[in-house]
Amino acid sequence: MAKVLEGPGMGLLRKWGLQTPNYAVVGSSEELEQLAQANEWLNKSSLVVKAHEALGSRFKLGLVKVGLDLNGAKVAAKEMLGRTVGTLTIREVIVSEAVDHSEEYYVAVKSTRDGADVMVANCGGVEVESNWDRVKRCSVFVGDAPSDAALETLAKEAGFSGDLIAKVADFARKLFLCFDNEDGQYLEINPVVLNAAGELVALDAVTLLDGDAKFRHPDWTFPFAAEFGRAYTRNEEEVMAVDSKVKGSVKLIEIPGGDTAMLPAGGGASVYYSDAVVARGGKLANYAEYSGDPPDWAVEVLTDKVCSLPGIKNIIVGGAIANFTDVKKTFGGIINAFRKAKAEGKLDGVRIWVRRGGPNEKQGLAAMNALKEEGFAIEVFDRRTPLTDIVDMALAKK
Amino acid sequence: MSILATKETHVVIQGGVAGVNAARRMGEFRHMIQQPLNVSAFVYPPDAGKTNEVVCGNRLLTIPVYKTVAEATANHPEINTSLVYIGADRAYAGAKEALDNSGIQVVSMITEGLPEKDSKLLGAHARKLGKVFNGPSSIGIMSAGECRLGVIGGAFDNLVACKLYRPGSFGVITKSGGLSNEIIWICSQFADGITTAIGIGGDAYPGTDYVTYLEMFENDPQTKAVVIVGEMGGDLEERAAEWYGAKKRRVKLLSVVSGFCQESLPKGMKFGHAGAKEGLQGEGSARAKSEALKKAGAIVPETFGALGPAIKETYEELVKSGEVTPIPELSEAEKPKLPRTVEQGMKDGDILVAPLIKSTISDDRGDEPLYEGYPASELINKGYDIPHIIGLLWDKRLVSKQEAEIIRRIIILSADHGPCVSGALTTIIGACAGIGLSQAVAAGLIMIGPRFGGAVTDAGRYFSYAIDNNMSVDEFLAHMKKNVGPVPGIGHRVKSLRNPDKRVKELVGYVKSLDLATPHLDFALEVEKITAAKKDNLILNVDGTMAAVLVDLGFPVDSLNGFFVLARTIGLIGHWADQKRQGSRLIRLFNYLVNYAAPARREVPPLQ
Repeated sequence: MAKVLEGPGMGLLRKWGLQTPNYAVVGSSEELEQLAQANEWLNKSSLVVKAHEALGSRFKLGLVKVGLDLNGAKVAAKEMLGRTVGTLTIREVIVSEAVDHSEEYYVAVKSTRDGADVMVANCGGVEVESNWDRVKRCSVFVGDAPSDAALETLAKEAGFSGDLIAKVADFARKLFLCFDNEDGQYLEINPVVLNAAGELVALDAVTLLDGDAKFRHPDWTFPFAAEFGRAYTRNEEEVMAVDSKVKGSVKLIEIPGGDTAMLPAGGGASVYYSDAVVARGGKLANYAEYSGDPPDWAVEVLTDKVCSLPGIKNIIVGGAIANFTDVKKTFGGIINAFRKAKAEGKLDGVRIWVRRGGPNEKQGLAAMNALKEEGFAIEVFDRRTPLTDIVDMALAKK
Repeated sequence: MSILATKETHVVIQGGVAGVNAARRMGEFRHMIQQPLNVSAFVYPPDAGKTNEVVCGNRLLTIPVYKTVAEATANHPEINTSLVYIGADRAYAGAKEALDNSGIQVVSMITEGLPEKDSKLLGAHARKLGKVFNGPSSIGIMSAGECRLGVIGGAFDNLVACKLYRPGSFGVITKSGGLSNEIIWICSQFADGITTAIGIGGDAYPGTDYVTYLEMFENDPQTKAVVIVGEMGGDLEERAAEWYGAKKRRVKLLSVVSGFCQESLPKGMKFGHAGAKEGLQGEGSARAKSEALKKAGAIVPETFGALGPAIKETYEELVKSGEVTPIPELSEAEKPKLPRTVEQGMKDGDILVAPLIKSTISDDRGDEPLYEGYPASELINKGYDIPHIIGLLWDKRLVSKQEAEIIRRIIILSADHGPCVSGALTTIIGACAGIGLSQAVAAGLIMIGPRFGGAVTDAGRYFSYAIDNNMSVDEFLAHMKKNVGPVPGIGHRVKSLRNPDKRVKELVGYVKSLDLATPHLDFALEVEKITAAKKDNLILNVDGTMAAVLVDLGFPVDSLNGFFVLARTIGLIGHWADQKRQGSRLIRLFNYLVNYAAPARREVPPLQ
């Protein structure tokens, strides 16, 4: 799942024939000034300025300003650019044209197991969120496209009448084309508004695409945004860079304030380990995972980041019985990073808990166990100890 | 009995190296259950027409590679299953090709990162055709005692530890590959093991769902209970709950669902597999799934750790009710073993191999070469030089500083002797003909023989013979005249008493200046006095001098030509590089340099 920011999202909608307000993504107020010399709408229209970053609750943070003229927009842009919110610095703002309207509607397409649901409501904005029953849906089987008649019926069911039926159906048809051809996972236009010329305009959009399909979309030149309302940290970005280079995978998400560091193997087991920590009342300092027999140096980079998490008391090196990930080799990478971290004093007072099985498990576990002799506070368990028991032990010892 | 992967399963593997590796794992499994390999063919267009080698038991099988699935099934009509090991950008086309093949009923895909749309299309296509598309991101399917599809189950030791050589009573369905193996292990320790374990993959929209397989397990009398390892996201667990609760089911259902940690994490933070994501309205949470399963009558332990005891309890009930008869354990001796490699056997110390060759000078088995036992890096760090390495490898000893200096001088003096001599000329002709370094230099080295540079060994041999037998110079010359002919090491094509060879003077002068016993050199110089008096070019030449000195140093006679070969290789490489650098053109002899002494042109007589 890959989130796309408003600018490129609007670009995709336009590509598929949907009308959006005029907009420009700028990195400085000077750039806005230059654009105003070429674009009449920036001088004439009432403008909206929003931080163009992966941030939730922008309105609350004062990162959305409406009803501005060009000068007001420049001032707003200047104020927002360079501001930091948490770990994120605002580098771009999107300036768009306000569209006069009285009615707001809702159109979305959502991926489902069998294909997709096209969803329409004749209310929009915050109203639709409190009136979810007014959203009507039409399911489309994968490989099919909704017929005009079906979409018109959907518009009627949603309460549209007159020439709006055909307009809403056409809007939904194009949004579906965009969804289907751009490997969409979730496209939501809220609100869709009726402008003075009687045309439907997509005022705001949520665009989630299937990042795995990037190989067949050479025009996806935009970066994907973090999905959890904050930017990626430098450590996360470094691990992602390694992940994109290697066979198998290494993953890291930092959670500030936690004291239990996670370094488990496997996309499935790693979540059970996290569950165990939470169930025991522990506080996760991160999520991490390595799988698919990644090279030892990639696991070493991941371990290095995990050891560097501030204020950690335990590190959980858990894992199920691997099918083909070499335990000895991947543990080799972990051990290298542990030694480095210990030399740098990062593991003072930190207890390490290991449980693992899989190819070359005996040698891998023996190598971990040998760290005791180097003064590590480490406990090593094999397959005979149930998966998450090391979490119970780690958190019981507090 | 088992489901999906059975005794009747015959496989085509679509893919390259990863597919061959999977076949190797499958071969291990087949050996364990003492059945022939069930991989009939590979499909991999770049290698079409070749064969892949797959070990099964103690045999190395060759399995053909085809360009298309249709070719594979035409040649191997028994094929009914395909494993897809193709990259995400081509996996859809590959899996579609397999599904469209009339002989293939099951397609299982390990490929990760397949676009969701492709996965949905393949799943829908398979359902339309009444076939199974398992995956993507599937670790494979394992039916104990019958069939392994893919790498599920891991290494051979693990297969045996999990008793996968015979069926148990538990079916397993997981999204996670690692956890499938974990549950297989748990079932073998807390109960009697598994019938079939299926990895359906952790994607958002896998090609099949739990219900498809639950139906199959329900109809498989061997399977008494099914363990589902679920994850938050999607609605597969809810559908499984719905199926289980819809009517009285024969199989017992046990399940755990992961993702409870999401409740206390920052909103939107996503963990684990691609499919592990909560819906926008909170549907698909771990809690909702667990509740649904519990409500439907499934056994849902609070934690993953409690799954083992729950499985044990279920197993004990099954035994008590008579539905399951405990299977006697195999003794250690009865357990299947993988044929050991010669390497492993030797490591374990219970195999003796008659070696093919013996080496007494060097060893390459460690992290760096050992010369006569001395690590190369240590020799460098302690100041040893190339002459010492020559001493170690040619004469198995560390030569002294003084000896090393003599060797060094010998090499410098004989490294090259201009372009005209046989060796260099041959290398130059070779370079001009465009042949490569090693061939051209080898051609030059081939010239080294009795008349060019190759008299060192023979000279050494005869000087030694004279000294060993206490011969006088006259006796020696008489012996040579009678038995050998000209004395090797004596005589030069262009040098003479009046035009002495500076190299000889230099070497003799240096060696004589040292405090060193040189009986062979002294004898050779005495020989020269006599022969040069007879004819002034019968002087001690560079071969003879080197020979006498090296024998004095104690080098074995058979190694002596090596000093010239080694030294002159430096020059020959230089000549080859020199011609190459100049871009020299092909040369040939001018015919005026040939005395054409063959008969003049004449008529060919009729063939008799």
